Amino acid sequence: MSNASRCSRETLLVLVFLLASGLPPVFASDTLSEIRARGELRWGADAEGGAPYVYPDPQKPEQLIGFENDLAEALAAKLGVKAKMVQNQWDQLIPALERGNFDIILNGLELTAANQRRITMSQPYYVYAEQIVTRKDTTNLTQLDALKGRAVGVLSSTAAQRLVQAMEGVDMRIYPGNVESLRDLKARRIDAVVLDLPIALFYAQPDPELRFSGDPFALGYYGIGVRKDDLKLLSAMNQALADFGRDGTLEKIYRRYGLWDERQERLKEYRPEKVSQSQPISTLREWPKYLPLLLRGAAVTVELSVLAMALAVVAGLVIVLLRLYGIAPLRWLARAYVEVIRGTPLLIQLFLIYYGLPEIGIRLNPFLAGIVGLGLNYAASESENYRAGIQSIPRGQTEAAQALGMSRWQTLRHVVLPQALRVVIPPVTNDFIAMFKDSSIVSVITMVELTKVYGMLAMSTYDYIGLGLMTAGIYFALSYPASIFADRLEKSLAYDHR
Amino acid sequence: MITVENLVKSYHSTRVLQGIDHAQKRGEAVVLIGPSGCGKSTFLRCLNQLEVADAGRITIGEVTIQGGRPPSTAEEKEQQRQLRLRAGMVFQSFNLFPHLTVLDNVTSGPRIVKDMTSEDAEALARELLGKVGLENRAEAYPGQLSGGQQQRVAIARALAMEPEVMLFDEPTSALDPELREEVLKVMRGLVEEGMTMIVVTHEMQFARDVADRVLFFDAGRIAEDGTPDEVFSNPKHERTREFLRKVATR
Repeated sequence: MSNASRCSRETLLVLVFLLASGLPPVFASDTLSEIRARGELRWGADAEGGAPYVYPDPQKPEQLIGFENDLAEALAAKLGVKAKMVQNQWDQLIPALERGNFDIILNGLELTAANQRRITMSQPYYVYAEQIVTRKDTTNLTQLDALKGRAVGVLSSTAAQRLVQAMEGVDMRIYPGNVESLRDLKARRIDAVVLDLPIALFYAQPDPELRFSGDPFALGYYGIGVRKDDLKLLSAMNQALADFGRDGTLEKIYRRYGLWDERQERLKEYRPEKVSQSQPISTLREWPKYLPLLLRGAAVTVELSVLAMALAVVAGLVIVLLRLYGIAPLRWLARAYVEVIRGTPLLIQLFLIYYGLPEIGIRLNPFLAGIVGLGLNYAASESENYRAGIQSIPRGQTEAAQALGMSRWQTLRHVVLPQALRVVIPPVTNDFIAMFKDSSIVSVITMVELTKVYGMLAMSTYDYIGLGLMTAGIYFALSYPASIFADRLEKSLAYDHR
Repeated sequence: MITVENLVKSYHSTRVLQGIDHAQKRGEAVVLIGPSGCGKSTFLRCLNQLEVADAGRITIGEVTIQGGRPPSTAEEKEQQRQLRLRAGMVFQSFNLFPHLTVLDNVTSGPRIVKDMTSEDAEALARELLGKVGLENRAEAYPGQLSGGQQQRVAIARALAMEPEVMLFDEPTSALDPELREEVLKVMRGLVEEGMTMIVVTHEMQFARDVADRVLFFDAGRIAEDGTPDEVFSNPKHERTREFLRKVATR
């Protein structure tokens, strides 16, 4: 082995080791001077379904509004700079802050011990509470305890999720956004949604089909997140928030969005708790605790992929037979199906199946919706694989079969398809392996499969590397045997051994 | 046995067959010769309905098919099937089924089309493989055979349907010269047994030796129709003479 390659391999090892040991990247920590020099305060938030925190103005969609948007502008003005929102998926805000994608998190981030172990948090700027929302006709679910045995929706990695997760015997469904859980509530897929009061005020209160069930409970605080030890920036934020409390800026902003209530008086009384600093968790070292959880997710992934692929393989065959041998209208239909499915994102198709179909009375549970969505999507590409396979069989084969007197169907069944089968095994296996990975998309319809379990665990342990390696390992352990099996199958079907 | 009346076939604007009339008795072996593109292969393919003629009428045995359009009704499709059952076809490129063994290639027709039991089909197939000299290659796959062997299997496969007439479409053109004779030998055997045959070929010696009649096709018409002696030694048309000269010097 040459010196150069040994050197680069060692560098790589060191790098992997550093990452695996869970050390956050080190930043020169005078963000405040950087902000001033740049003239811009970059704040991380998620504007997707983000009302009333930060969201596109319905009247002027190119412009953001929301109480946190207004607060960010006030903060930036205080520093003498402009505010710039950086869009980031909500449950990935903390890692993105650590990576340096923006200067602060200002997006309903709860002042919890877990968050404060990872990053530093300011004084609170808002007192939130949890609210149970039900359908109009539900009357008895006024307290958290009453939710036992019910299907309850929560927003991914929020205080609500932690509250409900801690209870025994609740069928918790985790949603990627605020709108979807309320929609499922109305579709009677779930019985209640627990969510932060501001969200409830904005999305649920105006809805005539929904009601607030019981009083707000489980008060908590939102604070601004900065990188650990970014102390100058922290004290600037705290100073500004204290000023805004005194001069009525906060009250003015919150009243603008109908969010001011007597609970906000508590902001003044807030005393930071001492956060115990704990060692970063290494999930690799503690794998017996985490691996079973991941494997449970993997079981869902396998079940889902196998069933969806079975559907795709069969439906794809029907589609290709219609397309190649059907009567004219069916031929067009099959072709249109393939084009439409291929030309639209899987995500949209899943949303339509899961959230759209209930509008016409078809209510699939998440698991079934996942199988149908993935299966029908892959059916289109399987039918294309088959078509390529069938068309690769020389015309002489069909002619020879016809000359023997075989009907069209007999020709297909005994001559064309058996030969095409062997041609399509590699591409179909490829798709099957891709399906393992693509199936993670069903987390958007509340399925908890491998990738979702990874996300949830990473959220609570912050060990993205260790969990990531384990998860990747599981995916690989699933797909590699599949490709070996396909190899064997292909060989066993080989007939042109010379 | 075979009657063809006014058979017409065009591809796009080219008239490949310009009204062919042909009659052939049972047990007669007819060889079609002619330059490439003259329509002799198309004629053969129309006979067993791989191509649908634009006009005209084909009768094999007691089955008659009218040209004009592909069969659409169940009755028309059954007619077409009946015609095909009476005509066995051997292709230039063999077209054996590569995923089936030699034995399964030969039994496939009887089993699938005639619902013959596997035992009966196998017995028949082994007998026919014996006839073409390949009884010991029954378990081989086509990919393991030489071209000449493959073509002999193809002949056995066609014979397994017990057709009334055998159609050969340039059966030796894809073969190396040293492999042609084994195929021609099998075909000679069939002629001796009195099989009704139409053979499209460039093997003039074969035509001379075994044909009862030789037809010379030119530009979609039958230009000569006579015994080998008449056509080869005393052709009526200049075109025929020219063709025979070219073939002889090749």
